[in-house]
Amino acid sequence: MNIELPTGKNIALIGRNGAGKSTLLRIIGGIDRPDCGKVLTDKTISWPVGLSGGFQGSLTGRENVKFVSRLYAKECELTEKISFVEQFAELGKYFDMPIKSYSSGMKSRLGFGLSMAFKFDYYLVDEVTAVGDASFKYKCSKLFKSCHEDSNFLMVSHNLNSLKEYCNSALFIDRENKVTYFDSLNEALEIYKTSERLKSCL
Amino acid sequence: MARSGFEVQQAVIKALFFREIRTRFGKYRLGYFWAVLEPAAHLLVLLTIFGFVMHRTMPDISFPVFLLNGIIPYFIFSNISTRSVGAIEANQGLFNYRPVKPIDTILARALLESVIYVTVYILLMLVVYMSGEYFEITNLLKLVLSWSLLIILSCAIGLIFMVLGKTIPETQKFLPIFLKPLYFISAIMFPLHAVPKEYWPYLLWNPILHAVELSREAVMPGYISDGVSLEYLGLFTLLTLFIGLMLYRTREEAMLTSRLKLKT
Repeated sequence: MNIELPTGKNIALIGRNGAGKSTLLRIIGGIDRPDCGKVLTDKTISWPVGLSGGFQGSLTGRENVKFVSRLYAKECELTEKISFVEQFAELGKYFDMPIKSYSSGMKSRLGFGLSMAFKFDYYLVDEVTAVGDASFKYKCSKLFKSCHEDSNFLMVSHNLNSLKEYCNSALFIDRENKVTYFDSLNEALEIYKTSERLKSCL
Repeated sequence: MARSGFEVQQAVIKALFFREIRTRFGKYRLGYFWAVLEPAAHLLVLLTIFGFVMHRTMPDISFPVFLLNGIIPYFIFSNISTRSVGAIEANQGLFNYRPVKPIDTILARALLESVIYVTVYILLMLVVYMSGEYFEITNLLKLVLSWSLLIILSCAIGLIFMVLGKTIPETQKFLPIFLKPLYFISAIMFPLHAVPKEYWPYLLWNPILHAVELSREAVMPGYISDGVSLEYLGLFTLLTLFIGLMLYRTREEAMLTSRLKLKT
């Protein structure tokens, strides 16, 4: 494929299961490498929002946050980032306990807070928008929207409503694994639905 | 303001270093103290067994000093190089963070192992000194240089192992088997001059033996090991580092590609 993505767009990646949406997302983000070819960009791109695969289970939440902050921020910003995540995730005393004692909800709170603590031009979002209980969900979506104002999203989701909420254009991977860019999300969704014969159920 | 590539790599190595030390020693009481205490205790037991129980002595060097200068360099080498074989798999989750490169995991580990073992070395040499054994650092430069070269060599071999281990997963099984005999041919338990001279040309291929014997020469006046040379160690290290970096450079992208192999 050879595709140019315009700057400053929020792009949804759509396609059936296993089409390679997440892989494409990871390749764009520079986390995975393509077998051949290149991704050229001068923007900063986040790790997948809410990722918890990089956490070390035997370390505490604070230590894990500190680790990622060391990777992405300057030494002098460390405390600021850590206290942001601590306040946002609302884990209380669990923030200083090993991650392996966390429930999955707590883990995703930490992961989400960690992603939001750093500023990127593009955020990669793979199937997560809101986690946790109702009040936390509300807080998440508020923060998510404010971050949406000055950054862009690249999004994979099967929840068409959240795609519509955050994105205005789309990359569509069809059954023949051909990737097409659409300037309008609705147009892409129409084609997606037709190709998957979903019209009747939606 | 964006950070330069060098600054990023420095930050990554530092982050990995602290993560590693936290993971390995953070859960114990006395924490980091164990980092030094564990290998120190291990070596003290060896010293006691060989030195005081078996009464091993040497004509030209105090036995504990002899053993310390052999076994610690060997531990540094084997700890850095063998762990690199599975470095990619062990750190898979970390490569989700884009600044982290495979080489950083090796450098961070090498830094940690070096700090630990150099501290242990200084500590135990002091203990040995206070218990009345004689040694004198006659050539500090030689000591520092041969240890530094050994550490660089270990990283270089680690790089080669990492690439091998990722390209051919089976190496993870058989490499440790090849590394074990190094313990017996690196002059750790015997001095080079105890070996008949006709076997020297074979033994002297081994750079670890050079590092070990050079380090003994540096701390014991009158201990002379003909045949070893700093030049050889330096040259070998340079060559290995070249091969290691070259392999790494060509395979870095491929190592980060998640490729699913079809089982046929």
